[in-house]
Amino acid sequence: MPQSIRDEILAVLLDRQPNYLSGEELSHKVGVSRAAIWKHMEELRAGGYEIEAKPRSGYRLVYRPDRVAPEEIYSHLQTKRFGREIQYQNHTPSTQIIAHQWAKEDAPEGAVVIADEQGDGKGRLGRVWHSPPRTGIWMSLILRPPIALQSASHLTILTSVGIKRGIERVTGLDIQIKWPNDLLIVGKKVCGVLTEIRGEQDCIHYAIIGIGMNVNTKKQDFPKEILDIATSLTIELGGDIHRATLIAAVLEELEECYERYLQEGFQTIQQEWESSAYKMNQMITVRTPQGNHTGILKGLYDTGALKLQVDQGTIAIYSAEIDIEKY
Amino acid sequence: MAFKMHEIRELIRLIDESQIEEFEIQNEETTIKMKKNNGVTAQTVSIPVATQPVIQHVEQPTPVAAPVAAEVASPAPVVEATPVAAAPDMEDATLHKIVSPMVGTFYRAPSPDSQPYAKEGDLVQNETIVCIVEAMKLMNEIDADVKGTIVKVLVENGQLVEYGQPLFLVKTS
Repeated sequence: MPQSIRDEILAVLLDRQPNYLSGEELSHKVGVSRAAIWKHMEELRAGGYEIEAKPRSGYRLVYRPDRVAPEEIYSHLQTKRFGREIQYQNHTPSTQIIAHQWAKEDAPEGAVVIADEQGDGKGRLGRVWHSPPRTGIWMSLILRPPIALQSASHLTILTSVGIKRGIERVTGLDIQIKWPNDLLIVGKKVCGVLTEIRGEQDCIHYAIIGIGMNVNTKKQDFPKEILDIATSLTIELGGDIHRATLIAAVLEELEECYERYLQEGFQTIQQEWESSAYKMNQMITVRTPQGNHTGILKGLYDTGALKLQVDQGTIAIYSAEIDIEKY
Repeated sequence: MAFKMHEIRELIRLIDESQIEEFEIQNEETTIKMKKNNGVTAQTVSIPVATQPVIQHVEQPTPVAAPVAAEVASPAPVVEATPVAAAPDMEDATLHKIVSPMVGTFYRAPSPDSQPYAKEGDLVQNETIVCIVEAMKLMNEIDADVKGTIVKVLVENGQLVEYGQPLFLVKTS
């Protein structure tokens, strides 16, 4: 995606923060006239950025709104591939739909679609993810994993581990993972993941990992009926989070998990998952389309299936819902 | 050559869904006999434990080469008499099977209140999505990967399917 001049100016200012950058240098770096710079500065200000202009010193970025635009993310990002190409949408019905289209065309591995607002989040089986504007993270990561289709479920497990680490790094909050890949804080859901794949038996054409996260969602933004099972990072932390910073951290941790998985296999990912599992070694009830099972959660099989110890022995659960216990 | 575990599982499932009360199959080494515990067939029971067939492994030292093929094929007429889509393997061999590429739950539609991806009688192209198989919140959209007409949907919405299990029969064109 070609960057707009405004994005370039912003990137240069971010890079120089908190110091000043002279108009001349800025004009030189971006390759447009100083008059044009001035015009774009006005646009940025209209977009919520506070840019201080000081005679003989130049421009300085004082405040940036909590946007998730690519230049905001790039300025934090330390990855090789993940998030190196970003399609940013101000508003979209679903980042998954755009990612599918992009993946079918030529999206490289690690490409990301991000939206500042999502109209109707696509949840599992068409369920709608609650998304108040500009408070969450909605993004879809495109992967082209060189693995067999039967191993694809490893992707959902490693995704949950990567996101968990990203959130913990930025916020210091303690995250649990509810099988297979819901992220919880003290038993309330803060992030959901939907993975969609296209492929054949022996290869995956592409996988799209859709992530929906409640970041700066305030208590009053949640419908009452889900307040005891859902939360946001800001509610738990007591302060707002710069979403672009969080996205960069999540992408870095995801890339680390993904590369480790491709090189070393599933084992260390599995161990990490199990050490943060919600209700590990406790009694749970899982609801499957074929009926309910109650037993003790014993971790994962090496397929990523849930290991549930029931009266008759240990069974593997492939698709099910585990309800969150209300407090 | 022994029966593979997934073959036995598949057999159990097919017998379970059919109205067959007793079933026997043998090859060079092994004979498998299945008999239902009671006369009730399990069609829509959510936990099919009560009506699961009993499996007996009988070691058969004497190979009986010739009749084996006939034995295997013999249940076909019985199966065809049942209205349930129970035995895809015994259907017209010229029909193409779309099989599940993984273990998971079979969904015919993108959401509970949407139209199914593919119904019997629908024309499909290679790229047509015919269903979703879900495991561990991983949604795998299955392409028809063949051009033709859907003759039969072999599994129910929400059913757990095995790796390699036939999902649809397609008359190719």
